[in-house]
Amino acid sequence: MNYAKLGLRRKMKRLVVALALCAFAAGAQAATTTLQNMQTAFNGESNAHARYLAFAQKADSEGYGEVASLFRAAARAEQIHAGNHAEVIKQLGATPQAKIETPDVKSTRENLEAAIKGETYERDTMYPEFLSQAKRDRNTAAVKSLNFAKTAEAEHAKLYSAALTNLDSLKGSKSMTFFVCPKCGFTVRELSFAKCPSCFTPKEKFEKVS
Amino acid sequence: MLHFPPIPTWEAMHPLIVHFPIALLLLSPLFILIGAALSPSRGQPYRIAGLIILLLGTASLFVAAWTGEAAGELAERGGPVDAVLAAHESLASQTRILFLVLTVILLGMTLLPKALRRQETRLSSTFMPLAFLVLYSVGALFLVNTAHAGGRLVHEFGIHSMVPEESAPAAEDASAAGERDH
Repeated sequence: MNYAKLGLRRKMKRLVVALALCAFAAGAQAATTTLQNMQTAFNGESNAHARYLAFAQKADSEGYGEVASLFRAAARAEQIHAGNHAEVIKQLGATPQAKIETPDVKSTRENLEAAIKGETYERDTMYPEFLSQAKRDRNTAAVKSLNFAKTAEAEHAKLYSAALTNLDSLKGSKSMTFFVCPKCGFTVRELSFAKCPSCFTPKEKFEKVS
Repeated sequence: MLHFPPIPTWEAMHPLIVHFPIALLLLSPLFILIGAALSPSRGQPYRIAGLIILLLGTASLFVAAWTGEAAGELAERGGPVDAVLAAHESLASQTRILFLVLTVILLGMTLLPKALRRQETRLSSTFMPLAFLVLYSVGALFLVNTAHAGGRLVHEFGIHSMVPEESAPAAEDASAAGERDH
């Protein structure tokens, strides 16, 4: 009887150890997934930075000065996002890696359409999924970085859409100043607030990009 | 078995801290009012208690605002929540400034007569505290509006702080029990 009890206890103990190992493995798997997501996001933001700078050059050459400024401001924002993501990747013990591809530059109209498509995908699909995963992993640094990027991408999509709608009237326009939050990349045409709506950085600290 | 919950991160401190300024800063005027109603000598301990509570409340208000900004960075934006979050943040900043000013005024009202070695009179012990409470009501109005906006964020829009993950107490307890059996 005692031997039977002892055997049962041993089995129970093994079961507990096995469950604990499974939980540990699941945690490690989740951490890897968030890391992979951050690497994907870092790659995406780094490429967007390069792509928007190329789009800005094209817009300048076609005489859309204001659109060129918008692309440069968005490029700066993407650079800030890439920097934020890189910090999280380093915190997770890895090295940020990006494969910069040669931008596919077309006409400014097509470039704007491509930019809207990219920003919309990031706002509606990519970042919400990555955020859900980071929240499950309770990685606050990742949530913060992804949240900043998602909010700014939504603003970029609005600005690009407005530019595309008014593209004909923007022909021959001069460069204009956009304001980019140095912490979260939030991009606006006017500083109509005291603090950044996304990260509460005072408006005085916003970078001017034209 | 009861055990300590996980230590909250700076961002997750906001829901813990935020109740302190609300309670303390709404309690302080009651002590000031009692102090003003009593004679100068009998009312003095109440006025000092009111000042101490105000100091603690203002200090906790600053911590609540700092942790709130950190927590706000984790809140997903989009839709009507943006306006409420912006209002909450803006009101919190204004409330912080107001209570800093109120604290400096009450400190001055309490310490200046002592520094100048002046005897307490009805003017300094009753009428000035009552006038101070009129000013205080402005701060209290900002405070309750800030709290209301915060309450809306949580209970109407479901904005929550990220609480650190619980360790697995069941597994730990079972393992510990197993160890004891041997």
